[in-house]
Amino acid sequence: MNFPANLSQSTHVYTSEMSQTEQKIIRKAARGDRAAFRQLVLEHSHSMFRLAWRLSGEETAAEDIVQEAFIKAWRKLGEFRMDASFKSWLHRITVNTAMDYLRKHVRRKQFETAEPEWETTAMAAEEPDTGRQMDISRQTQVAMLDLSEAERTALLLKHYEGHSIEEVARIMEITTGACKQNIFRAVKKMRVALRPLVAT
Amino acid sequence: MKMITDEDLTLLYYGEHEDPALAATVAQSKELSARYDALCAELKLADAYQPPLRGDDYGAEVWQRISPHLGDKSSKAGGRLGNWLASFVQPRFSLAGALSIALVAVLAFVLGRNGGPVPGSDTVTPASVAAVNGTEINSERLLNRSVSAHLEQVNILLTQFVNTSETSAGETGHVTDLLVANRLYRQAAAVQGNQKLAAFLADLEPLLIELAYQAQSGSAATRERMQQEVEDGLLFRVRVMNQQLSKSVTSV
Repeated sequence: MNFPANLSQSTHVYTSEMSQTEQKIIRKAARGDRAAFRQLVLEHSHSMFRLAWRLSGEETAAEDIVQEAFIKAWRKLGEFRMDASFKSWLHRITVNTAMDYLRKHVRRKQFETAEPEWETTAMAAEEPDTGRQMDISRQTQVAMLDLSEAERTALLLKHYEGHSIEEVARIMEITTGACKQNIFRAVKKMRVALRPLVAT
Repeated sequence: MKMITDEDLTLLYYGEHEDPALAATVAQSKELSARYDALCAELKLADAYQPPLRGDDYGAEVWQRISPHLGDKSSKAGGRLGNWLASFVQPRFSLAGALSIALVAVLAFVLGRNGGPVPGSDTVTPASVAAVNGTEINSERLLNRSVSAHLEQVNILLTQFVNTSETSAGETGHVTDLLVANRLYRQAAAVQGNQKLAAFLADLEPLLIELAYQAQSGSAATRERMQQEVEDGLLFRVRVMNQQLSKSVTSV
């Protein structure tokens, strides 16, 4: 049994502290310095792609979301406050962009239509042997896309990006109580979906 | 003793539980340990949900794609005053170009009236010659300076055009602005008798027309062909002419 011991998942955890150098770069970018903004793009592209991909479940969509989010970030950089976490701020833009994108493109519908065999997690629950043979990643993705937008977003930001619940709440612009409830519901659903895949 | 729920265990798993003694409580209880281990095992599977890998140059690729779509925001940084000041400092067609064209038109009109022999008068005084010459020099400098600023904008546009694979949102409007300006400057140069400059601007016009059309509905193949043409010589000619005009402005 391993306890997290005050967020021992250090690779996931993001601290809101920014270095002086990053603050300087952000200030320059906010004044319209393209070279400075380029540095921010180079630094945060991978992280934004990971989040966008997990939100959308699709590679092309994720790339579109990342680009759109950076363009929005460039326009709104003047509104960024230095006492906040820049990564959280970028993630908020990414989440909002992804939600807009998904509402427009209804990606999930396409995904379900294209992959009917992954349509429900119930199938895996009924056939544990088959479920064990399935690609766990794929099954996780299906389970993830089965969550509501709010549940998925909260879980992604907490589980994969390592934001604190307070940060997740800020990014999603909801209360910490509502944020916790979204995480609890998401975890409950994910556990039901993934339980059959746990090796006995 | 308060009942330990799955929500408590979830918060413990993420290191967010307010009670620091919870971990010890769970460790001491067989039933709680089993529940916690099950939670860990199930959530650990979720770690398999990993996005496809991007290469090391992914950030550079993103930059390449978004940079043509980033508007010039430097004027926004300083608020209204910044905008107002920036509009004078930065080379912008909307103000500088329009103002220059208006001045050139006015000067061309003045030169047209003063440059030729005055009807009914055979005498030309030294003072009137100096006045006319002075006006010519100023109008030539003004035209050269204006066309130089215009060519700088064309240079930026063409450089962006040859380095991007997609048409940016503002490209169409910008090309049309430059096309209109180009025609006015060509006419002004012709009126002033600067045939070399007028001919150069006339050469530039078909490309700007094609660019305006291409920005709206051109295919990728057409864009590639035009990029090649621009790279092969026109961009170089624009830069050379711009340098010559800049030199003439500073040397007069």
